[in-house]
Amino acid sequence: MGNRSGKILVGLIALCVVAGGAYVAVAALGPNETTTDARPQAGAVLDRSDVMVRAVEPSNPRLNGRVFVVDHGKVKQLPGDLSCERVYFAAGRGICMGVAPSGVDYTAQLFDAKMQSLNTIPLSGLPSRARISADGRYGAMTVFVSGDSYLESSTAFSTRTYVVDMASGKAIDQLEQFHVSKDGKPFDAIDFNFWGITFDPNDSDRFYATLGTGDHHYLLEGSIKGREMKVLRDGVECPSLSPDGKQIAYKSRIGHSSRWHLRVLDVATLKDHGVAETHSIDDQAEWLDNDTLAYSDGTNVYTVPADGSGEPGLLVRDASSPVRLPAGL
Amino acid sequence: MYQVEASKALLKPKLWARRSARLNVPRNVVMLGMVSMLTDVSSEMVATILPLYLVFSLGASPLALGAIDGTYRGAAALVQVASGFVADRWRKPKEVAGAGYGISAVGKVALVAAGNTIGGIGAIVAFDRIGKGIRTAPRDALISLSSSKAGLATAFGVHRAMDSAGAMLGPLIAFGILLAAPARFDAVFVVSTLFAVLGVAVLILTVQGKPKRAPREDKPAPSLRAAAGLVKDRRFALLLVAATVLSLTSVSDAMLYVGLQRKIDFPLLYVITAVAFMGLAIPVGQLADRVGRVPVLLAGYALLFIVYGALLMSSLGYALLVLCLLGLGGYFAATEGVLAAIAGALLPEDLQASGLGMLTTVVSIGNLLSSLVFGALWLELGLHKAVLVFGAALALAILAAVPLLLRSQRAPLHG
Repeated sequence: MGNRSGKILVGLIALCVVAGGAYVAVAALGPNETTTDARPQAGAVLDRSDVMVRAVEPSNPRLNGRVFVVDHGKVKQLPGDLSCERVYFAAGRGICMGVAPSGVDYTAQLFDAKMQSLNTIPLSGLPSRARISADGRYGAMTVFVSGDSYLESSTAFSTRTYVVDMASGKAIDQLEQFHVSKDGKPFDAIDFNFWGITFDPNDSDRFYATLGTGDHHYLLEGSIKGREMKVLRDGVECPSLSPDGKQIAYKSRIGHSSRWHLRVLDVATLKDHGVAETHSIDDQAEWLDNDTLAYSDGTNVYTVPADGSGEPGLLVRDASSPVRLPAGL
Repeated sequence: MYQVEASKALLKPKLWARRSARLNVPRNVVMLGMVSMLTDVSSEMVATILPLYLVFSLGASPLALGAIDGTYRGAAALVQVASGFVADRWRKPKEVAGAGYGISAVGKVALVAAGNTIGGIGAIVAFDRIGKGIRTAPRDALISLSSSKAGLATAFGVHRAMDSAGAMLGPLIAFGILLAAPARFDAVFVVSTLFAVLGVAVLILTVQGKPKRAPREDKPAPSLRAAAGLVKDRRFALLLVAATVLSLTSVSDAMLYVGLQRKIDFPLLYVITAVAFMGLAIPVGQLADRVGRVPVLLAGYALLFIVYGALLMSSLGYALLVLCLLGLGGYFAATEGVLAAIAGALLPEDLQASGLGMLTTVVSIGNLLSSLVFGALWLELGLHKAVLVFGAALALAILAAVPLLLRSQRAPLHG
């Protein structure tokens, strides 16, 4: 190598270091907070006081993910500094899945009714779904785990679903390690992915979840203590049991696309019907009562009657992850 | 020579300094290692934060990207053969490799400019994959032609170690930037672009395009027929068959991780494997040059039995898991570069890129097929029996490879 190319290279390295350093410095020091007063805003339809949501405001890191409640048509921010990509709350305990304070990792914070953090559980991927059983005994969390392009390994994504013992605040099990059966026979494949647990409101040991394998998305019914699950039927994702335990709201994939319609399934008869929402919804729906579903399209929270009648209505603007709260939190 | 020293200092200062006295690696190989390291820092920075970016900024499901990436992986494997031959035909391995690195760098620039749609990101991922497919064979040919035949495995070991060092550094740098400037993905893309541009610059400015073993200018350029004729060369054909058989029976690391994660929840499987690969690539390369590449290669494949054994156990402790991942890192160190070294030693100088491209393609197709078969067996028989089947097949493959590889090492009868 000539002396000249050496000099060019050194100059180029210096230039890159300066340019890159300057860009990062400006990004780090510059205002990373927009000055708008944007925050979740109540929609026009319901005068409810029993819904928790997280704020959707990606351009404003200090607002994005903050937890709010709907209080008689007004949206109020709760105290504390939890920032969640997904939130759930039941029986006095909450799960907040988000980016760790370090900014480089994912964690779940368990919190109490005063929004005080009780415990932290490290997560191995992007937060997706969270649920807590009605009696507050178990929690469940699903994350997306990314493969990595190291060593040419597959970069396909997979999911992991944790079971949390809410009393100790520890993740005690993973659905990936449960035994699965289909038509009474053991069932296993390399591409098994599990997501979206919902707990039976009358028996927290019993739960439903989704198993994805090949082109199939099976509804599973399982037992935490028995560490086993069985396939009930195909075409059901992100099940959500109604408060009376009689119906399951779920998302139904449209063909092989990444688009879903919300549907409702009767647990006893396994008969199902659609709801009035016509847009694609990628969410685990939440029941506000035995007749009403709440869900988010990623930007706003809507409600729709569960029996297929009526129309969807806007509940909260700029919010996601709706949670039904016991009255008076 | 000061750049060489500087680049060595950039690696692991002390370890390297002590070893470099004995490690006689051509400057060109170290420079190619630098190029790969810078490019890998760039690629891995983006790969690491892409899921985060997709979900948090674009509101897209990460599954969308998984599908995109899988599609182009296959295409990239086939590009390798063509780019290898073109590099030989034009006698311009440096320029063809440069085109591959350049395409990836252009992709990074596009990410800064237009990375706010799913389609745009899909196209950029495709660019990156195709760039990788184009550069691999000519770059390996340059490594091979820059080294003496006696030091080939060490040279490839040095390159692979630097390459995986870049893959380790990339995520750290990306996270560092996001730590300093939360949610500023643009800053990560800009810095990633600069690394990619530097990689191309180091290639253009420091890498010698006509290294010492390069074919003489007065020889006619190789024809397509000559390149295709490589498969009829007895020694190379034996090597191809052995590589095919071995890759068909070794389960890909991605599948192994899925299996291990059914036994134990541990998020850093690939990080430990990559660190082990990085640390072992050079010493294992030196060992291969000293005691023979064929035994080291076969011992490397035998290391997979540790992982297969772990998959057969009903439960797995952390100690055993780490041992298992060290074994997997050792397997990569003893097979990845060593196989290229074996090929580099027996391929004619004017067909190095073609031959190395064929070898890499055969291995990646073999791995793809083994993944499909392993997945199907897992579904039909369960993980336990699938591992038993593959363990037995690998044992047979290693036994079959012994005579094939030993015969490929014998001097040709004529020519």
